[in-house]
Amino acid sequence: MIEVQNVAYTYADGTKAVNDVSMTFPEQGIFAVMGLSGSGKTTLLNCIARFLSPQQGAILLDGQDIQDMKEVDFRQQVGVVFQHLNLFPHLNVLENMMLALERVQGRSKSEAKAEAMDILKRLNIGELAANYPAQVSGGQAQRVAIARGLALKPKFMLLDEPTSALDAATTSDFAQWLRELQEFTSFIIVTHDLPFAEQTADQGVFMAQGQVQEQGRLTEVLQNLDRC
Amino acid sequence: MDVSREIAQRINRESRIVATEWDGILAGLLAEKYDAIIGSMAITPTRQESVDFSTPYYHSGAQLFVHRDNPDKVYSISECNGLRIAVVLGETYQHFLEEKFPDVEVVTLKSAAEIFAMLEQKRITGFVTDRLVGAWQTKEAGRPFVPVGEMLYKERIGIPVRKDNPDLLGQINTALAAMEDDGTMQRIHQRYFGLGKTSSSKLGTMEPSVIATKLLKGFAVSLGIALAALLLGFVLAIPSGLLLTFQRGSLKPLHFLVRGFVDFIRGTPVLIQLLFVWLGLGLSPFPAAILTLGICAMAYMAEVIRAGLMSVDPGQDLGARALGLSPLDRFRFVVWPQAFRIAIPPLMNCVVALLKDTALVSIISIPELIREAQSIISVTFEPGLYYLIAGLMFFAVTFPLMKLSDRVERSIKAKGFAHD
Repeated sequence: MIEVQNVAYTYADGTKAVNDVSMTFPEQGIFAVMGLSGSGKTTLLNCIARFLSPQQGAILLDGQDIQDMKEVDFRQQVGVVFQHLNLFPHLNVLENMMLALERVQGRSKSEAKAEAMDILKRLNIGELAANYPAQVSGGQAQRVAIARGLALKPKFMLLDEPTSALDAATTSDFAQWLRELQEFTSFIIVTHDLPFAEQTADQGVFMAQGQVQEQGRLTEVLQNLDRC
Repeated sequence: MDVSREIAQRINRESRIVATEWDGILAGLLAEKYDAIIGSMAITPTRQESVDFSTPYYHSGAQLFVHRDNPDKVYSISECNGLRIAVVLGETYQHFLEEKFPDVEVVTLKSAAEIFAMLEQKRITGFVTDRLVGAWQTKEAGRPFVPVGEMLYKERIGIPVRKDNPDLLGQINTALAAMEDDGTMQRIHQRYFGLGKTSSSKLGTMEPSVIATKLLKGFAVSLGIALAALLLGFVLAIPSGLLLTFQRGSLKPLHFLVRGFVDFIRGTPVLIQLLFVWLGLGLSPFPAAILTLGICAMAYMAEVIRAGLMSVDPGQDLGARALGLSPLDRFRFVVWPQAFRIAIPPLMNCVVALLKDTALVSIISIPELIREAQSIISVTFEPGLYYLIAGLMFFAVTFPLMKLSDRVERSIKAKGFAHD
């Protein structure tokens, strides 16, 4: 469980991006952090991913402040897929996945290879193993990036705007695919794409001006938003 | 050369011919690259300040030569005002003309071969050189050049040695006196400058197999120097490139040190660096050439590596960090492999530039391709042909390198590497 407690983050230029935000991400399911651009949702994601340190409040992972965790332990429990994916272009899909297995989890080359291949197959993208990132489509690249994160078997996986490079038809396929991945981990999806959130998430928050405006079951959150 | 061999024999010294440029010949003597110069050097008070001369072994003087057709109709140097008269760079004639005939347009060229080519094409009116040397060279090259007018002045030709070497000077003087006495000197003069006897000699031609061997050997030397300099440069360029990129904390002083050094190397002519290392630091020609070209290659390749590192998307490092990789692993497995691939095409351009720069080391008397071409030209007097061949030999290596670089660049772009 991840608990965000009264977190605030102000950038060096004085912009107050996140202002006293609290929320809880459950161990299971898909959780959506929604909001328009500038609502502070990506800043919040960067705080949860420990790329930014909030000036106020705390973020707890299973009761422990993430600021007190060792980097390598934290990274293995909380995965991140960036908006621009940041796949490594000089490595093929399989090698992209093997790198952390070998260097972070200390697997041998053959173990890493077998494990990565196993995940790709379970995610139904085994045929992409030998391709380089430039050789796969936008939708496939998104799945590869998620597969790469899942290789470390994290408890949580943060996805930043996963649909920004996908067209409508691909988005719907992708939402379906993501729902099937719940057995692997729980997802926290940061998105401005409300229909996509509706298709995937069970619960969510809607942020505006650095604060939580609505939260709860996703259907309720969206209904309340419609009413406003 | 006959004089030098004869003297060497008489003083029990090994005579090893060192080829060098005329304009740096005294500097080379002072830097102990060789011990004496037997090359028709005139005895002048200025030169006597820095070196000692042997007793004169022949007397000659400055002579004006013109084309047999004599389109400018000049019959002495005093008729040459406003006309172009060539001299070899660094020879005494240049000073003399500028002082005594300020209205003559003095053209300084690197070698007799260049002067001959210019006069053949009638791009100059004539040239001034030593009367005997000029007569000999003209005859051997089979050129239609003739001496006109009186000698401009007479001069004594001696052998310069360093002032701290009186023993050698004494030995040379003894040898010269003996050669004069037993008629050896007379015979040598006869052979080179005498009429009739040598006019049918074949000194002006060279066997094609000899030419080919000289060119190939020279090119092998060029390639060898380039390769050694490349290895040195590349090994130094990697840490330098890193230091140029990262300037945090304790690396800061080193960063600025490398920055300054690289800027200095890139901002100064390689020729000066080469002469500095050779004559200033006193290194032997080969180490001087490899060190200079290697350091120069380092400077350019370090910049290329820096640019490569800078053009890797920062998201790559972040992506690797999100996977829990250590800073060293992030650099080693994610950032560096991409930076290096991006750097390959410009690095190959550096290799091409380095290969071409080896031509410069000819001036520090390394027998590489250009030097060998010059030595062939000094006999055949066909600069157009042999400089073209030398150029083509370089191109035969650089062209495939350039094509390969294009291919690598295309494949890198196809793989979607950061590229700005």
